Amino acid sequence: MHKDVLIVEDEPAIRRLLMGALDRTGLTYAEASTAAEALRLAAVQPHPLVALLDLGLPDRDGLEIIPQLVEAGLAVIVLTARDATDEKVAALDLGADDFVTKPFDSAELLARIRSALRRKTGNRADPQRRAFEGGMIDREAHAVMIGGAAVALTPREFDLLWALCEKPGRVLTHRALLETVWGLAHRDDVDYLRVAIRALRKKVETDPSRPKLIINEPGVGYRLAGSAQRVA
Amino acid sequence: MTQSTPSTDADHYLRLARQEQQGRLTVYLGAAPGVGKTYRMLQDAARRQAEGVDVVVGVAETHGRSETALLLGPLHILPRRRVDHQGHALDEFDIDGAIARHPGLILVDELAHSNAPGSRHPKRWQDVEELLAAGIDVATTVNIQHIESLNDVVAGFTHIRVRETVPDQILDDAELIIVDLPPDALIERLAAGKIYLPDTAGRALSNFFTPTKLAALRELALRFAARSVDRRLSDQLRTAGDEGDFVAGERLMVAVSPGKGGAQVVRHARRMADIFHAPWTAVVAESGRARAIVGAQREQLADNLALAASLGASLMTVAADHVGDALVDQARQLRASQIVIGKSRRSRWFEWRHGSIAQDVIRKAQGVAVHVVPLTDADERPDRPREAAFARDDMVAFAIVVATVALLRLAQPWLPFGAIDLLLLIPVILSATVLRLRAGLWSAVWAALCYNFFFIPPLHSLTIDDPQNVITFAVLALVAAVVGWLAGRIRRQAETSAGVARLNASLARFAGLMGGLSEKEETARVACREIGSLLDVEAVIVTIEDENIMVRGNDAYRRIDMIDEAAVRWALEQGIATGRDTGTLNASDWQFHPLRTSLGTMGALGLARPSQERIIRPDDAVMLASLVDQTALAHERIVLEGQARQVDALRERDRLRGALLGSIAHDLRTPLTAVIAATEAIPAEGAFADEIRIARSESRRLQRFLDDLLEASRIEHGAIEPRWESVDLTDVITDVLRALRQDEAGARVTTRIDGDCPFVSSDPLLLRHVLINLIDNALKFSPVTTQVEVELLCRDGDVLCRVLDSGSGLPADTDALFDRFHRLEGSDRVGGSGLGLWIAKNFTEAVGGTITAGNRAGGGAMFEVILPGRPKDEAEGRAADA
Repeated sequence: MHKDVLIVEDEPAIRRLLMGALDRTGLTYAEASTAAEALRLAAVQPHPLVALLDLGLPDRDGLEIIPQLVEAGLAVIVLTARDATDEKVAALDLGADDFVTKPFDSAELLARIRSALRRKTGNRADPQRRAFEGGMIDREAHAVMIGGAAVALTPREFDLLWALCEKPGRVLTHRALLETVWGLAHRDDVDYLRVAIRALRKKVETDPSRPKLIINEPGVGYRLAGSAQRVA
Repeated sequence: MTQSTPSTDADHYLRLARQEQQGRLTVYLGAAPGVGKTYRMLQDAARRQAEGVDVVVGVAETHGRSETALLLGPLHILPRRRVDHQGHALDEFDIDGAIARHPGLILVDELAHSNAPGSRHPKRWQDVEELLAAGIDVATTVNIQHIESLNDVVAGFTHIRVRETVPDQILDDAELIIVDLPPDALIERLAAGKIYLPDTAGRALSNFFTPTKLAALRELALRFAARSVDRRLSDQLRTAGDEGDFVAGERLMVAVSPGKGGAQVVRHARRMADIFHAPWTAVVAESGRARAIVGAQREQLADNLALAASLGASLMTVAADHVGDALVDQARQLRASQIVIGKSRRSRWFEWRHGSIAQDVIRKAQGVAVHVVPLTDADERPDRPREAAFARDDMVAFAIVVATVALLRLAQPWLPFGAIDLLLLIPVILSATVLRLRAGLWSAVWAALCYNFFFIPPLHSLTIDDPQNVITFAVLALVAAVVGWLAGRIRRQAETSAGVARLNASLARFAGLMGGLSEKEETARVACREIGSLLDVEAVIVTIEDENIMVRGNDAYRRIDMIDEAAVRWALEQGIATGRDTGTLNASDWQFHPLRTSLGTMGALGLARPSQERIIRPDDAVMLASLVDQTALAHERIVLEGQARQVDALRERDRLRGALLGSIAHDLRTPLTAVIAATEAIPAEGAFADEIRIARSESRRLQRFLDDLLEASRIEHGAIEPRWESVDLTDVITDVLRALRQDEAGARVTTRIDGDCPFVSSDPLLLRHVLINLIDNALKFSPVTTQVEVELLCRDGDVLCRVLDSGSGLPADTDALFDRFHRLEGSDRVGGSGLGLWIAKNFTEAVGGTITAGNRAGGGAMFEVILPGRPKDEAEGRAADA
């Protein structure tokens, strides 16, 4: 029987807390306190769906095993310190899905885990359309509906919104978004992204000065809030 | 040719530079007492006062003349200082009072006056110099016979030598005002009893008042003033960049000899230097022989040099075997155009025997004008210690010869005849090498005579039969003389170079000793011991530490007197030598030399000598200067080493503290993460709902406190390195509100955001921290029922973020808010590390912004963060292109 979550954490207290939180929500889990153990458990078939990975492990740097976990088919959520911007970006670039900063709020952590699980288990009925909170985007028709009304987006804004909707809840780094929308040549032009996000927010957010849909992760990137649903 | 040498120009400009900040000196110069100098000075002072100048009378001698006293009426008079001297109360000029009062112009009568013993300066002109240095204008009076360089001239025709003299230098930069009265009128005034003469000096002084003498004095005064005017004119021409027609390129060298005549030559040189406007150097050439001069002679030489220095000469001592050659060489090196040298009137015989230095110089100096000053004093030639020492040497030489002859007589039967004359050279060589040259030459004579008397037939007579023996005798005499002379000369040269070698060796040893020390007490002790034994004096090192006088280095002297203390302070402040044998505070038993270094004056070296001799002999001056330098260097090194050690210790302490903070923070964070997660996991309901809420909020507070401590330690270590990127402040504010849970329904924070604000180049995490602290503060310090407003707007291209609350507002001193650990009155209630605003300020400044605090018009506090915006066009323009 497969486990929902693989907990990789060397601090017993934190590990027990995570276990408690998962127990209460009815999710199953396996636990590892070293990188080696984590890799062994990830290889057990059927493998766990989500890994909660603490980066400070006794035997190896947690960053190093991210690609292997992703390869094994796990969605990786990294546990990290808030000011460790470089670490977050590196983890995301290595294929991690998301990060949670310590000290974390269990409610938020569980929401992230659920969101990741959904991405892993969701059906793939229509790859061309996505629904999000308050709207819907249709790639084939190149149309965006907000609150039932069509909104005109420039091609770049459309590509940007699609990129965010494709992986709802996942943090996309500045670099990843720039590469997808503007191409490799502009991967470091954060200004382009800022300008486009501001313009996009004006069109899709109810209150652009207090954005609720396109969430900024300071120093790291953007994510689409809530859980975009593939429209069946 | 009007080219001037570089050093004269430098001197010229240095003098000008000094004049800029210095007070100006006005001198009322008279030919004789009674011409009305004081009267004229007071008249001018009254006029200046009417012009609004702050005039104070320091000293004015009215000598009971009522019309003069009347002039004092409207002027402010500085109280005199009362000095008790051997039971007499003397009223002296109060220099400290004058400097403290700092008037625009001060009148100090009688420049040549000598101060009462125990005063700061022995002479009044030194008081005046200090006043000028303090930037106070001074007016004073002086009679022509008190001018140092004219001292001889005046004494020459008045037959009165004035002891109270004023160095010419002080008058160099002064404005001279001649107070003139024709001799007839002056004599009339004297007859009418209008001229005050002190009773004791009355008779002598009245010798002045003959028409011829007065006329001569008057001429001297007028000529002196004319020269001064002339010099000032050329100074001005030079300053104006116009070379003018002043005599340039002249340079004087004066040969200073011991004896009273030396002073006369020095004064003469000063007058010539004045006429040529030339810099001048006083040179002492010391031969090995001259080094032997002792006692009174040596004192006199030192006095002569001091006189030259006080008259503005630079001093130089050269070691020489031949004085005449050395002087001419030195003149070439100095590029002197004129040599001044004294020559006494001696018999031709004396000159033929001893040579004349003046003759030598005249013969050898090519292209240099030589001025010979005829000397009247008979003892011009250095008085060598011939009496005792020479007589003793001669006796010893004689004894050696007699002993040799006696031995030869005994050994004669066994000696070949030809050996005797050679063997007789032995006592001659011996005497010449060990004793003085003269003894060597005498022994040559004795040897020759003894040879003739005892060994050449007919024996026991001074006649010689055999002509061949005449030749032998002559050869022996000649060889003895030449050998004696050569040996003596070699010995003298060896002595001279041994002296130099000794000096160098002593200095090297001293430097070596000082270099090995690293502790203050020890350094002082070694320095004092070495200096004491090298110069044959008592030495101490005096420093002022926290206003206390510390005496180190010599266990025999642990404290010093009041007067010594004053001398030390003066030496440290002015950077000059003070105390005994100097011009300042010479009532002190000690002579103090400041230990000057690049770090400032470290202290003073104090020297004393139990006897009345000069503390420093002139030929020790060079050595002393080196020793003082070395001592100062050693002290500087110790201070620097101490500072370096302190810095190292501080750095190490800082590093440890940083490491400690880092590890504490890390070790605290992990359990705190667990605590926070655990408390959040427990639902806040049931009987313990309140306790759980308290646990939640307190653990969050603890976490924020810890974050503050960590950030503070990063700031203190200068470890704040912004990660620059383009930042949209809307994002930062949204993120902060989310973190503070102020983004949901029921939030206390309202925002007013200008959505078109330019992006800023900044660090989003640092800005996040700033805004979290400001907004969190605002929430804490205002009633829960009120709103906190966050505004984002742009003004003149800058981006402003304001946080406003409706609390009780801020105290007046808003700058102090941003200090570390600053807390508002009663803020303990709400808690906080006291670091929040300090961190906010540092972070804001790290990203190039400013942060200010103030009160709102309607009550409540307002914090404003201003960040320099980037041109909006740039960012958006580039994006639009893409």
